[in-house]
Amino acid sequence: MRVTAAGSYPKIPNRPRPARLRQAIARRDRGDITAEELARVEDEVTIEVIAEQAEAGLDLVTDGQIRWDDDQTYIAQRLQGFEITGLIRYFDTNTYYRQPNVTAPVRWQQPILVRDYEFAADHSTKPVKALITGPYTLAALSNDSHYGDRRPLVLALAEALHQEAKALVAAGASVIQVNEPAILRHKEDGPLLQEAITKMLDGIDAETALYTWFGDADGILPLLMDLPVDVIGLDFVSGPGNWEALKRVSFSKVLGFGIIDARNTRMEPADEIAEQIQRVSEFVPAERLYVNPSCGLEYLPREVALEKLKRLVEGVRRAGAVAV
Amino acid sequence: MSGLLTTAVGSLPKPGYLAKARTAFASGRIDGAELDKLTRQATAECIRMQEDVGLDVLVHGEMERGDMVAYFAELLTESMAISGLVRSYGNRYYRKPIITDELHWQGPMTIDMWRYAQGLTDKPVKAMLTGPYTMVDWSFDEHYGSRREAILAMAKVVRREAEELVKAGAKFVQVDEPAASTRPEEMELVSEALGIVTQGLDARTITHICYGDFASVFHHIANLPVDQLDLEMANSGYNLLNLIQEHNSEFQKELAMGVVDVHNHVLETREQVKAGIRKGLEVLPPERLFIDPDCGLKTRTWDEAEAKLRVIVEATREVKRELEID
Ligand SMILES: [Zn+2]
Repeated sequence: MRVTAAGSYPKIPNRPRPARLRQAIARRDRGDITAEELARVEDEVTIEVIAEQAEAGLDLVTDGQIRWDDDQTYIAQRLQGFEITGLIRYFDTNTYYRQPNVTAPVRWQQPILVRDYEFAADHSTKPVKALITGPYTLAALSNDSHYGDRRPLVLALAEALHQEAKALVAAGASVIQVNEPAILRHKEDGPLLQEAITKMLDGIDAETALYTWFGDADGILPLLMDLPVDVIGLDFVSGPGNWEALKRVSFSKVLGFGIIDARNTRMEPADEIAEQIQRVSEFVPAERLYVNPSCGLEYLPREVALEKLKRLVEGVRRAGAVAV
Repeated sequence: MSGLLTTAVGSLPKPGYLAKARTAFASGRIDGAELDKLTRQATAECIRMQEDVGLDVLVHGEMERGDMVAYFAELLTESMAISGLVRSYGNRYYRKPIITDELHWQGPMTIDMWRYAQGLTDKPVKAMLTGPYTMVDWSFDEHYGSRREAILAMAKVVRREAEELVKAGAKFVQVDEPAASTRPEEMELVSEALGIVTQGLDARTITHICYGDFASVFHHIANLPVDQLDLEMANSGYNLLNLIQEHNSEFQKELAMGVVDVHNHVLETREQVKAGIRKGLEVLPPERLFIDPDCGLKTRTWDEAEAKLRVIVEATREVKRELEID
């Protein structure tokens, strides 16, 4: 049993600690500092949030997606074929992303995440996983002014992101997580997801994960078991239906078990976390379990996110003590 | 009063001295009395500006408020707290409240400033509240564990505040629900909660809703328990008017229609605004139509806000003259 993050980490701390990244972006926007100076602050904050995850006791960390404005634009604006348009709500959250618009054939041009991965790996005492927004979700959350049909767009994205995954592996990435929350809202597109993920991860020599959040995978879980990935991440907080789904399938992969609520400040007692781990062990043995928050942590204030991770680690410790 | 009344949605820009004073207060460099003095000075300027422009129904400008949810959360000290900064997009963060305990009304939250503003003018000043659905949707919940329970409990708090406003003499009570169209499946809950606030209230009730995909939920919006709906129109090319037209048989309310975009510093021409008003008049009679900006003007400069309100008033007067509406 290992503990990991599901994705993002809050970019700024609260008083009395200074909101350095927020200030640096504002200063860059005013022209007071250069893009290079901002990049240096982003690097320093990345080091900070990696250290916080390690301090909390995580076994596998992320770079916190500190440089990402949102899950869509960071990838889309570096691919050929997209332009970035106006703000739109991200699922049912109170956060917004700039909607990518597909205006031309989608193509990979150059590495998007490689430098970020290398930097994080160089500055972490723990293994780092690379995060990529998946082809289905990128397509579903974009406006398509070019293809006119979702399937060719998803497959073009799968091919582009295949190039990115290859570049990440070449840079030494040993764990790659593909985020596909949108598939839970379009379960009928499971076969298209399967086709896309198969294409994207073809020949990728790394541990691969597919994560979902904001809902349950009931009805689509058997198909997820057939995907060419090692880990399936499920959100048991906003998707309690995942418990039912687990009963109906032989869970043959590693489970990314999303059990603390990354969208609410209420602190789960460590014993409650331990109980959940006991409960899931009926379906998935401990050695095939990653325990993680329900989704990225950016919906929480920074201090709450850190405290939640510590609770998670403590809950895992208690569950392990009971099992022994 | 006659048809085609002009108004503002809610917030006005904070003058530079007030923005500075709020920062100084937050870091302890000035005291509450000093901030209150400057807040009232700015409120008086808001009233004078709107009178000078010639609006029919005024707003107090919300000079005392930063965030429309955090403002109330900070006054509900026994049941809410501020958790910290959470990012909403880009480099924009908001101070997200937490519901920590059983919600209950502790005392007046808006009466003083409303009464002060109304005392400065003979025109009616709208009383402004944040609606129960938005209050809860934009907060964390550590107490109820059920959105419905939290929202209905919040509705009772907002209701009590609305009653106090009416007791103080408010003739218009506006309950803003910008979060209302977030989850189509919760529109009935939005409506139920708003009903708790407005039912039998002895004032003209209004709700302002913005940013959303209205088409799929317009049936619910058309039937919200308020006398007046305030919707943005200019920003969306007046498409919402078509929805109202489609729901004409069930849409019995007054409509306050936004005719200037608040997110753009470019000033609309009088002709553009008149064209917008005429579109509104194709759908609703003048006595059910109010004319205003799309949304609160707090993100504009003071001069831009004043100019946008002025073009609304001038365009409305010309349309009234041309169509002989009095
Ligand atoms: Zn608005």
